Amino acid sequence: MNFATFSLKLSVQFFIRKGKAMLITTLSLLLTLSMGCTRKNKDAENTLNIVATSNIKTLDPIEASDVYSSGAVAQVYEGLLHYHFLKRPLQLEPLLAAQMPKVSKDGLTHTFTLRQGIKFQDDSAFPEGKGRELTASDFIYSWKRLADPNNKSEGFWVFDNKILGLNEWREQVSKGKATYETPIEGLQAPDRYTLIIKLKKPFYQLHYVLTMSYTSVVAKEVVERYGKEFLNHPVGTGPFKFESWTRNNQLVLTRNKDWSLHTYPTEGEASDKAQNYLEDAGKKIPFVDKVVIQEIIEDQPRWLNFMKGNLDYTSIPKDNFDSAVQNGKTTKELNDKGIHLQINREPDVTYTAFNMNDPILGKNENLRKAMSLAYDTDTSIKKFYNGRAITAQSPIPPEVDAYDPNYKNPYKEYNLSKAKEFMVKAGYPEGKGLAPIEFSSPNSTTNRQTAEFFKQNMEKIGVKINIVTSSWPQFTTKITEKKAQLWGIAWLADYPDAENFLQLLYGPNGSPGPNGANYKNKEFDELYEQASHLLPGVERDKIYQKMRDIFTKELPWIPGVHRLSYSTYHNWLKNFKFHSVINDNLKYFRIDTKERGEMKAKL
Amino acid sequence: MFKYIFRRTIYMVPILFGVTLLTFTLFHVVGGDPAVLAAGKHATPEQIELIRQSLGLNRPLYVQYFQFLHQIFTLDFGRSWSSRQNIWTMFTQGVGPSLSLTLPAFLIAEVLTISLALLLARWRDSLFDRVTKITCLAMLSLSSLVYILWGQYVLAYKWDIFPISGWDPSWAGRWEFLGLPIVIFVLLSLGSNILFFRTVFLDEIYHDYVRTARAKGLNESGILFKHVLRNAMIPIITRVVQEMPFLILGSLLLESFFGIPGIGGLVVLAIQNADFPVIKAMTFLSAVLYMIFQLISDVLYAVVDPKIQLR
Repeated sequence: MNFATFSLKLSVQFFIRKGKAMLITTLSLLLTLSMGCTRKNKDAENTLNIVATSNIKTLDPIEASDVYSSGAVAQVYEGLLHYHFLKRPLQLEPLLAAQMPKVSKDGLTHTFTLRQGIKFQDDSAFPEGKGRELTASDFIYSWKRLADPNNKSEGFWVFDNKILGLNEWREQVSKGKATYETPIEGLQAPDRYTLIIKLKKPFYQLHYVLTMSYTSVVAKEVVERYGKEFLNHPVGTGPFKFESWTRNNQLVLTRNKDWSLHTYPTEGEASDKAQNYLEDAGKKIPFVDKVVIQEIIEDQPRWLNFMKGNLDYTSIPKDNFDSAVQNGKTTKELNDKGIHLQINREPDVTYTAFNMNDPILGKNENLRKAMSLAYDTDTSIKKFYNGRAITAQSPIPPEVDAYDPNYKNPYKEYNLSKAKEFMVKAGYPEGKGLAPIEFSSPNSTTNRQTAEFFKQNMEKIGVKINIVTSSWPQFTTKITEKKAQLWGIAWLADYPDAENFLQLLYGPNGSPGPNGANYKNKEFDELYEQASHLLPGVERDKIYQKMRDIFTKELPWIPGVHRLSYSTYHNWLKNFKFHSVINDNLKYFRIDTKERGEMKAKL
Repeated sequence: MFKYIFRRTIYMVPILFGVTLLTFTLFHVVGGDPAVLAAGKHATPEQIELIRQSLGLNRPLYVQYFQFLHQIFTLDFGRSWSSRQNIWTMFTQGVGPSLSLTLPAFLIAEVLTISLALLLARWRDSLFDRVTKITCLAMLSLSSLVYILWGQYVLAYKWDIFPISGWDPSWAGRWEFLGLPIVIFVLLSLGSNILFFRTVFLDEIYHDYVRTARAKGLNESGILFKHVLRNAMIPIITRVVQEMPFLILGSLLLESFFGIPGIGGLVVLAIQNADFPVIKAMTFLSAVLYMIFQLISDVLYAVVDPKIQLR
């Protein structure tokens, strides 16, 4: 019997014996393949297809602490204020408030008047399923939710120790001695449309905080109706309504037809007209009927989906960077596909923090300076960011007040001979007598690589580094418990104010607070407090710059880089102007569905 | 047999007890502080303390352990600390998508590789056998990422045979997206499965009963099917059944590359986030699944081999 006859016989016999199983599997395979060939054409729909590169965790505003959760929340929920979509530097505008608040002379009382006739989206939690009108007391309820210790909101810091009576109320609630009915002196609603916020001390960042997802308004009926499942049933006042959410897959939002809070802006930056950002000036928004946010964690499927036109915009993964961008411009391949590039400066800073309580690092300014001078930032930018970053000279990043692009930190240059001089001054010539220093790092591949690079740099001046990696939770616990000696970390702006970065060095914010380095300097702390009483402006900027100089003198961190975000988008996506602090941007984006249909056929 | 199953089920209890104790101890010794994590980047000591209270972390350890046992008995594992989802819901919602990838892929792979291994055993040491062996070894030495990246780039992006990634919750719609991950799953199983089954068959083929059958004049394929396959059932069952729990627990890489909302990534994510309730629940459920399938494979031994009696 030859091989062919045998195999035929064998498969026939096998098929008879295992017939059913084989039939089912063969059929499912065939079905799979045939479905693949008759894929539905959804391109004609007026849908915005975007991507989240990590999972959306929640749709409850007070829990939305990560970029993608708060990004999703901001389409459904709204707050009192928001940022102008086009103007840079960022400019605040009223959203649910009728106008910007009246602020008392002492800066302590902020009075908001709400717009009238704003309705919550329809939901079965309301009588007859019809959304009711928004009132000032909804804000008080929403913010009490944020402060309620039972809700464990990560976002409470926005009001912590700032609003009169709120911390006391929180304390009482934790002891079971207060309820949501208990009044708070600092939050009052004298009538349906007036909201008065009274502060303990001046806090001009309050207005920035009121743009954040944490402070957006929810309806008590809905929260009570869904209980613990509220995070899966968002009902806000915003331009988009929740349709469905398959976790680890996609979130679908549809246009809220009853929404008419404002129109597309009629003015912007000087260059906006030339760049066609004002073509839709004054038009009714949102433009798209539907938003699909796909959760795609891996780089390749995200990039390929974008290149096929299944996503309207995305950032460029590290491994695809060279094939997409050359000399700051898109490559020919991308150009031919009608793909554009947008580069934005991120208001963020990466840094290597010294534990200032450490007996060696904390006490030796010259050693810290030597280490800073020995770190080759330019190479790290090429190696780890594909050139998508600029050297950080101080904690204050671009896109916030008091950032000075011309400022040069004398210890931020890569200068080995100068570094060696500082090692001598530090008392450790060529590293002699210096015990190895422990560098803590999270255990992801990139973090390991950057830690390794840091180690190599330090070897050049005789500083020995031991790298200790651990999971993210262990890493953060180590910092808050002051057990780390040296570590690398980053901070992204919550709002465009240098205060958000300088608070990372404010003494009273020491561990477990955001000042993980536990840096303490009396003058720095006094200036921080002084600045908190001032409105944004030249005077405040001067104080911030004084604080920056103190930082440079003592160098509790080695500042790393400020990142640049590179976004690519298809030509059919209009009005794509990106800023990482602006959350409620999807309502402004428009899709040219005809163009998309034509282009996608060619991709 | 029922007595046997009953007795084995009773044995599971102390083992599961040990699993719970081990999970609990490990987490409390090596895990980061979940209260610090939950409090976030602007935490104050007061906030951390409040969270510790509300999570019940400042109660004595034995009280926390008994609470954990209580959760297990009631199958109410509470909510995830990081996603705040009900853990049982997370599990039940994810099992369907995970299984719709792994089960068909697994069946195709097993049927395909067992048939191929039979062919190889029939023509052992032929050119066909050697080439397949070398191919299998080569396939084994490639990382699974290579298959995924290649499949997605070539089959989906360049040749347009499959969608790149995605998911449709409806039964009819999901097959469109499952095609490519199933193909890759099968490819990934080929190397090790074929080599394993081939060895199993070859082990049998030199036994005396095979020679006797040949002497009686039975043809090769008859011998292979009637005798060899049947006698090789024990190692096959062991392998197949023991892989079952992993089918239910999903495939981390395939799910994350193809956007399948299964439970493959659940445990890894939970460990990354120090999400103790999820770690507890998943460790416990995995242990239960593993033991159940162990029992099933023991029972199946008796079914295929009359020499084995369950006592």
